Amino acid sequence: MMREEKIRRVPMLTSALVALALAVIPLPSVLDQLRPDFLVLVVFYWSIESPRAGGLALAFFSGLALDVINGVVLGQHALALTLMAAWATHLRLRLRVFSVLSQSLTIFMLLTLYQFVLFWIDGATGNPVVNYGRWLAPVIGGAIWPILSAMLSRARER
Amino acid sequence: MVAFRSTDTSGRTSGLLLRCVLYCLLALGLIIFDKRYDHLGKIRRALSFVAYPVQLAVASPFEGWHWFRESVSTRDTLRADKARLEADLRVAQFRLQRYEALEAESQRLRALRENTAGVADRFIIGDIMDVDLDAFRERVLVDKGASQGVFVGQAVLDAGGVFGQVARVEQYTSEVILISDPAHAIPVQINRTGLRTVAVGTGDTSRLKLPYLPTSADVQAGDLLVTSGLGGGFPVGYPVGTVSRVRRDPAQSLAEVDIQPAAALDRSRELMLVWLKPSPVPSGAEAAALPPTPAIAAAPKTAAPVPAKLPTQKTAPAAPGTNQAKAPVSTQGKLPASPPAKTPVQAAKAPAPVKNVPAAGASHP
Repeated sequence: MMREEKIRRVPMLTSALVALALAVIPLPSVLDQLRPDFLVLVVFYWSIESPRAGGLALAFFSGLALDVINGVVLGQHALALTLMAAWATHLRLRLRVFSVLSQSLTIFMLLTLYQFVLFWIDGATGNPVVNYGRWLAPVIGGAIWPILSAMLSRARER
Repeated sequence: MVAFRSTDTSGRTSGLLLRCVLYCLLALGLIIFDKRYDHLGKIRRALSFVAYPVQLAVASPFEGWHWFRESVSTRDTLRADKARLEADLRVAQFRLQRYEALEAESQRLRALRENTAGVADRFIIGDIMDVDLDAFRERVLVDKGASQGVFVGQAVLDAGGVFGQVARVEQYTSEVILISDPAHAIPVQINRTGLRTVAVGTGDTSRLKLPYLPTSADVQAGDLLVTSGLGGGFPVGYPVGTVSRVRRDPAQSLAEVDIQPAAALDRSRELMLVWLKPSPVPSGAEAAALPPTPAIAAAPKTAAPVPAKLPTQKTAPAAPGTNQAKAPVSTQGKLPASPPAKTPVQAAKAPAPVKNVPAAGASHP
């Protein structure tokens, strides 16, 4: 079992780092608004596929990294990502037997809730961002989920 | 594999809930501590050192691409660039010759008048680390701190003009308060007329205001504002902004004047943290005798008779009743004639009540 976890952690951390790099890669401002939350999707994937490898810890620390990089109040992304990763872990057995469309829709729902938690904390800490652009990211995220999960599965099998 | 997972899930559900609650409480605690008590600067900085390699790794290919494009640019482009740069350099050198003569003259005059208003002596470049997105608190984090000699109250400039001042210093970083922060005020002078006043932030990076000018003050849209050096925090003569709008309501005693900041407050990445040159003719005894005024405690002796004289003569008749003109009226007769033994004291105290209120927050947050 230990050996199995170790094998799984390397692609997990690598993919999280790549997703973090994709989250800060400079893009033109139009594309920047459409940028999906890559790191969130990667955390969801590992929460669903191998919950034993510490998906919640990954979610928490990925969230902290996002907080630091975005320069927002510390703990905001960590809270939202932990909640949604826990829910994804809870739903994982159902998700695995879902069709691709249902999976995408579920991921879209989780991403929207994730954005909503961020939105709520923004408001509670006196820094509301009233920009409709932020609700586009979940749509894109749900749309690219099948491609991303297939790519991650292939990387994991290797 | 399937069997392994199913046994594992039955045992994991409560564990999942427990861990989720623990992590969420931890995150909530972080949010509250970060928001309410501001104690997490060290943790944030430690984490940003972890995030820094990622940002560096992302930035390097783009820098590599720039480098590549520069390497393969054609000979003609390079020749054109070279010609243009040489022309620019000639113009700049020509201007610099004049500037050096002027600076020397200015130094001599300042020495004669025992005026110690700071002149920018040396600076270090600081990079902005992360922009605080709070709309009501315009501050940025800069990657230079106490280990580089940064101190609280230090003037911060960018390529366009005055950016702000250092509000908090850590070992390797410091927090800079922008001139557009509502809690910040900077003593300025209108370049065209020499009129002194105080520019106060609005919370909007594209706008400052001059709240203490009477409706009759000689100010027009397009006027350049430079630092007056009063208060000692900022060097003299650096651009702060241009007047973008003047609204005079005859029913009001004060005009509403908006300023477009000269510094790129929302776009700059690199800032200059400036050390002021110490007085060419130090007058220690006089400085020691001065009463410390909160806003200009840094260098109370820097009240400049030179800027003080001009506005007094020009604006005092126009606006005798306002705060701004109150102090100069009392010293009006003396300033031009008397040696600066006493006048700096009065001049130094004079603007203090006006700018104390907002500036105190900025200098001692």
